[in-house]
Amino acid sequence: MSDALLLQIVLWLPLAGMFALLLVPTESHATIRRLTFWAMVLQFVLVAVLYARFDPTAAGLQAATRVPWIADWGVYFSIGLDGYNILLVLLTGFLGPIVVAGSATAIDKDVKLFYAMVFLIQFAMMGTFLAQDLFVFYLFWETMLIPMFLMIGIWGGERRIYATLKFVLYTAFGSILMLAALIYLVLSTQQAGGVTSFAFADLYKVRLPADVQLWLFAAFGLSFAIKVPMVPLHTWLPDAHVEAPTTGSVILAGVLLKMGTYGFIKLGFPLFPDATAQLTPLIMVLAVASIIIGACLALVQDDIKKIIAYSSISHLGYVMLGLVSLNLIGIQGAIVQMVSHGLTAAGLFLMIGMIYERCHTRDLAAYGGLARLLPVYSVAFMILTLASIGLPTTSGFTGEFLVLLGAFTAAWTQHLAGQSFALVPAVLAATGVILGALYMLRFAAKFLFGATKAPAYHGGPLGAGHELPDLVPREKAILVALVAAVFWLGLFPDEPMRKTELAAKEYQQLVQTSRLPGPATAAAPPALATPLAAAAAAAMAPGSTR
Amino acid sequence: MNWDAFLIGLLPEHFLLAGVLLLIALAIVSKRERGASALALAMVAGAAVCAAGLGLQGFQGAPFPAQLSVSPAGSIAKAVALVLALPVLLMARDEHGDGGPFYPLLLSSLYGLVLMFGSDSFLTLFLGLELMSLPVYTMVLLGARRTPNAEAALKYVVLGGAATATLLMGVSLLYGQGGTLALEIFPRALTSKDPMAVTGAVLVLLAFFLKGAVVPFHTWAPDAYEGASVPVTAYMAAVVKAGVLLAALRLFGEAALSRPMVQLLALLPLASIVWGNLAAMRQPNLRRMMAYSSIAHAGYLFLAFLGNGPGRFQSVLFYVLAYGVMTVLAFAAVPGHADEPQRDRLEQLKGLFHRQPYAAIVIGLAMLSLAGIPPLPGFIAKFLIFREVMAAGHTTIAVIGLVGSYLGIYFYLRVIQYMFMGAQVAPVQGEVPPRAAAIVASLLCLVPAIVIAVAPGWVLAQF
Repeated sequence: MSDALLLQIVLWLPLAGMFALLLVPTESHATIRRLTFWAMVLQFVLVAVLYARFDPTAAGLQAATRVPWIADWGVYFSIGLDGYNILLVLLTGFLGPIVVAGSATAIDKDVKLFYAMVFLIQFAMMGTFLAQDLFVFYLFWETMLIPMFLMIGIWGGERRIYATLKFVLYTAFGSILMLAALIYLVLSTQQAGGVTSFAFADLYKVRLPADVQLWLFAAFGLSFAIKVPMVPLHTWLPDAHVEAPTTGSVILAGVLLKMGTYGFIKLGFPLFPDATAQLTPLIMVLAVASIIIGACLALVQDDIKKIIAYSSISHLGYVMLGLVSLNLIGIQGAIVQMVSHGLTAAGLFLMIGMIYERCHTRDLAAYGGLARLLPVYSVAFMILTLASIGLPTTSGFTGEFLVLLGAFTAAWTQHLAGQSFALVPAVLAATGVILGALYMLRFAAKFLFGATKAPAYHGGPLGAGHELPDLVPREKAILVALVAAVFWLGLFPDEPMRKTELAAKEYQQLVQTSRLPGPATAAAPPALATPLAAAAAAAMAPGSTR
Repeated sequence: MNWDAFLIGLLPEHFLLAGVLLLIALAIVSKRERGASALALAMVAGAAVCAAGLGLQGFQGAPFPAQLSVSPAGSIAKAVALVLALPVLLMARDEHGDGGPFYPLLLSSLYGLVLMFGSDSFLTLFLGLELMSLPVYTMVLLGARRTPNAEAALKYVVLGGAATATLLMGVSLLYGQGGTLALEIFPRALTSKDPMAVTGAVLVLLAFFLKGAVVPFHTWAPDAYEGASVPVTAYMAAVVKAGVLLAALRLFGEAALSRPMVQLLALLPLASIVWGNLAAMRQPNLRRMMAYSSIAHAGYLFLAFLGNGPGRFQSVLFYVLAYGVMTVLAFAAVPGHADEPQRDRLEQLKGLFHRQPYAAIVIGLAMLSLAGIPPLPGFIAKFLIFREVMAAGHTTIAVIGLVGSYLGIYFYLRVIQYMFMGAQVAPVQGEVPPRAAAIVASLLCLVPAIVIAVAPGWVLAQF
């Protein structure tokens, strides 16, 4: 089977699954769960095949499909794999079955609707990462809102309505501005070049005056920064995380937040390089603020879900720092950090869900000495905690270390050039690592060690009696998979990083090349960008499927 | 008179007129109230098919030169409006019985509507506009199960009369300046410097703002919508609004706008978007909420007139179709209730998903589409309009309009919140299980909605 067809199946499978659910009787929960789970497993297998076949040396899109959709407007339904999205697609596919398995006993209300929404979310997330056409990207990006709105609002905690409205209204505001910028961007492409095109590859060539770039970047950037989220736009996140059901938190932390950073690396920075150059100091300050403020807030939380929620803000600050460092190592680190955070945060939220299902409280003070009560749980928890801190051999180390290395390298050049404050953000970001260790170890120490205490267990699907039941095999399997992934990315990072290397270079090139109007002033594009862009254009020519 | 064009080109009109006459004859002959609904449905469907056929064939002709002509664009517009009327007719059967005055009234209103799309002079346009509006005043009264109806209808009549007077005043000024009643005097007046012509054009435009419920001429809409029965509300919101907008479109054509005209066409619609969306947040029932929603949508639609050239027609027609389909869909799916005024109180919708999942999902889709959330038809329609506005160089106006549309998201989502996130409520007293006709009506809306969402390019190519 051709790669392009495989990728099509990967994308449409969840949507087909959603409609297949309509045929299953509402009451047969077990069938619904099984159907969803195996569909997700199938999707992951296909994604893994595509990942294995992904050629790190080939420039441009792979497994691409491009068919005209709204011909009059120049909109093509265009999807494909490249170095930017390959790891995120793999992460999304990997978390699919885990999310479904993790919710097996936690959800007992409106089960059919729940899994329909899980399918829809999976579809929208895959589509967002795979889209190679701005219009299609926007459609998927926005489609995400509806199932997430329902997921938090129906299956969430006590203040779920408040949390879900806050989430939607925050996100939708960014989206509206992005829509305005999108229309303007495409219209100016049309006026400049005569052709209307939403294709990313074409938009990377658009030249815009500095002030226009600044406005458009502000609109796109605001939308992405809300999704990441960056301080000071982060206030929706703790509420959404705390009120969302475990599945919602896992999807939010695991994949959804990466849509924001992915938006920056794929669109925000490379589309408007001159605006980016102008605003780099501001973004750097906000990234460092996110790292420090997120960590400080995580340090003082008593709600175990909030600790991880704030830690997400801190970890994604590193991603942003890596992206604006414009140093190849930093960019690569940022991409790895995205995946690493997806694994560790998703894992930690799942584990919090497991304990919440047993004890029905998220108050840190109610727990202690779980290492004695739930040994397997505690080992996995410790591993994920250490991965989150960034201990060597885990995925967190690869990501954060490379980001900091990249940031320091970039700052050092500026420092030598005489900019006295260049090193400050990098140094501050490094202290974030210490803060990270502080809040995670404080959490783990209170949670796993010390005097043994846990709220009473009142029976349930996980075990009879009043003893706190140990993990069931299903839960153990989930944790084994997550821990294995964390070590894979920590011990063997070069293979995935080879696959993203070309994209990182292209990104670096795009952002460093000024694209102000006036063909005479711009220097000839450096050697690397030309073959890449040419190959991308060739791959996206109508009818070609690779 | 041009016989060829009269016989073939006016087939939709003939179907509707025949329908009116047959319905009246049926009411006289038949003792029992039966068959009126089916007859009306068949006639409107026939008219719609003829209109679509004429439009796609590209039929052109002038049955009454200088008064009435048939153009492909006009025929397509007729087809769109008539297709929107079909589900309304289906819904009406449960509400207004299978006989009585409702059906002939509705068909005559539709007759006026299609007449407008072919008009070449202000005389025919005025005739069509009044013929469309007058039956609706009566239709508002027909759901006579509640007392405020009379007040709603009266308000509607008085303000409708004001609109008529304004229109006539404007037309007489235009006539005085241009010496003709042909529609061309309007676009000429738009760019003219003659104060009489400009005043005339502005008065005509204001009459359309009044009919289309644009702020500050919107006050009749919430009361009329709330007072009318659900099918009549759907008819006013979707079909009459389509009629008013498409008639205004015929008037404007592809004419360029002068700067003050642009300001007028930006200011009031923008105010409409913002105020409609803000006021909708506080409404206790669906009909009132949808009235404010329709005020906001009138704003988007008139904003599209800022666009230039052929894009203006395409974006308005596409929007009218997407908006109309979703509005009728929402009304068709609202579950019936023994106590009519209780029927669409938002409180009644709480937990609807657990009682009638199909209705809840369908209403939810309609709300999301009206809010303009992708990938539903409403988004593509909104995208098209704002693209046209920006392409004409009015970036600031488009951005304000988009931000105004953001204000609307909350109240649409609130409906979904009530339906899906309410506690599992026991069966509500007096709620009627879904009826077959209503389900068919909702399917009649759902199918075009899906087509628009999946293949918007194909739909646009037909316009």
